[in-house]
Amino acid sequence: MNTVHLSMEQLVAVRDSDRSEPAYAEGHRHIAVCVQCAAELERLHQRTARLRALPTLSPAQNQYPAVRTRVLWDRKQTRLRRIAGLTLAAAAMLVVTVIGRDLLTPTRLDAEQQIASAMTSSQQLERALVRINPDERVIDGRTAQLVIQLEDRIADLDDQLAQAATLQREARLRRMVALWQERVGLMNALVDVHVTKASNVDL
Amino acid sequence: MDTMSLPNAEAVVARAKLGDPVALEALYTAYSTPAYNLARRICRTTEDAEDVLQETFFEVCRSIRNYRGEGSIWGWIRTVTSSKALMRLRRNKYRDTDDLTDELAPSRAGSHALRMDLETALAKLSETSRAVVWLHDVEGYTHEEIAAQMGKTVSFSKSQLARAHQRLRLWLGEEAFA
Repeated sequence: MNTVHLSMEQLVAVRDSDRSEPAYAEGHRHIAVCVQCAAELERLHQRTARLRALPTLSPAQNQYPAVRTRVLWDRKQTRLRRIAGLTLAAAAMLVVTVIGRDLLTPTRLDAEQQIASAMTSSQQLERALVRINPDERVIDGRTAQLVIQLEDRIADLDDQLAQAATLQREARLRRMVALWQERVGLMNALVDVHVTKASNVDL
Repeated sequence: MDTMSLPNAEAVVARAKLGDPVALEALYTAYSTPAYNLARRICRTTEDAEDVLQETFFEVCRSIRNYRGEGSIWGWIRTVTSSKALMRLRRNKYRDTDDLTDELAPSRAGSHALRMDLETALAKLSETSRAVVWLHDVEGYTHEEIAAQMGKTVSFSKSQLARAHQRLRLWLGEEAFA
């Protein structure tokens, strides 16, 4: 007798009582009369039971410290982004005001150009950091520590930038040139640390 | 693994939602092993599975406020884990085929020389087939849920499951399928 046996897909449908499968009913009837397919179904059950009985694999080390560091870094970054955004907006308004007021003073223009240039670089680096999308990347604990240190220093600089706005005009320009250039340096390092995973960053 | 529970789970989750670091660590302690096991069964390497574990619990810490208590906390963490593991597979773009040589030589299937243990046979499956067979047969996901997570159709999930069992059957040296 030339018997057509069930396919694996039909056997699985019978095992899972999958009535949405068109061949389920036919498969169910076939199992009742075919010893070979009934044995195959039993093997499928046994194989599934063996899969479920495989030993549970455990991680080699506790990953929680790295998770915790990353969570803290994420919270800090969110806070810093908010502060940095406000500081940048305030600083930009200040520079526009200063440039507008002192446009005809050549000695000041040089400092203002340096500030404007550093601000542009800093903004480009911020955008580069967004493109890198550090939130979606897994970093090790050491890298996360470096990132936190860099972000702390950038936050300090932003505070100092806000304070510099209260200085007299000449002192303010000198201070802001230095602070903005330092900010560009730190932003560069921050981008590097995400790209190189800290291998080339020396704090 | 469905019966897995954390003593005082509701209280721990409530504290975790407020950002309590002790509660968050308690969630990690309770569920990191089953989460890692799931990730390791789907991913090709231990390194990938460890990355998935880290990504999973980072997501848990960040998004626990979004957990509404519908279903068990392990059910929610498990879904985060499988989603991260499947994302890792897509990102890595491994060559997603299993060994066709054995398929072309079914007459040797019963040979003791070719017979593998289940761990080896499972590891030898393609990434997709292994993920489907594990998620469906062990973790208990439906084909609809698997299809949604993988961005594929229900038919795709069903055919991958059948394919996985055909391969396992062959590689485990079970009696030839007529």
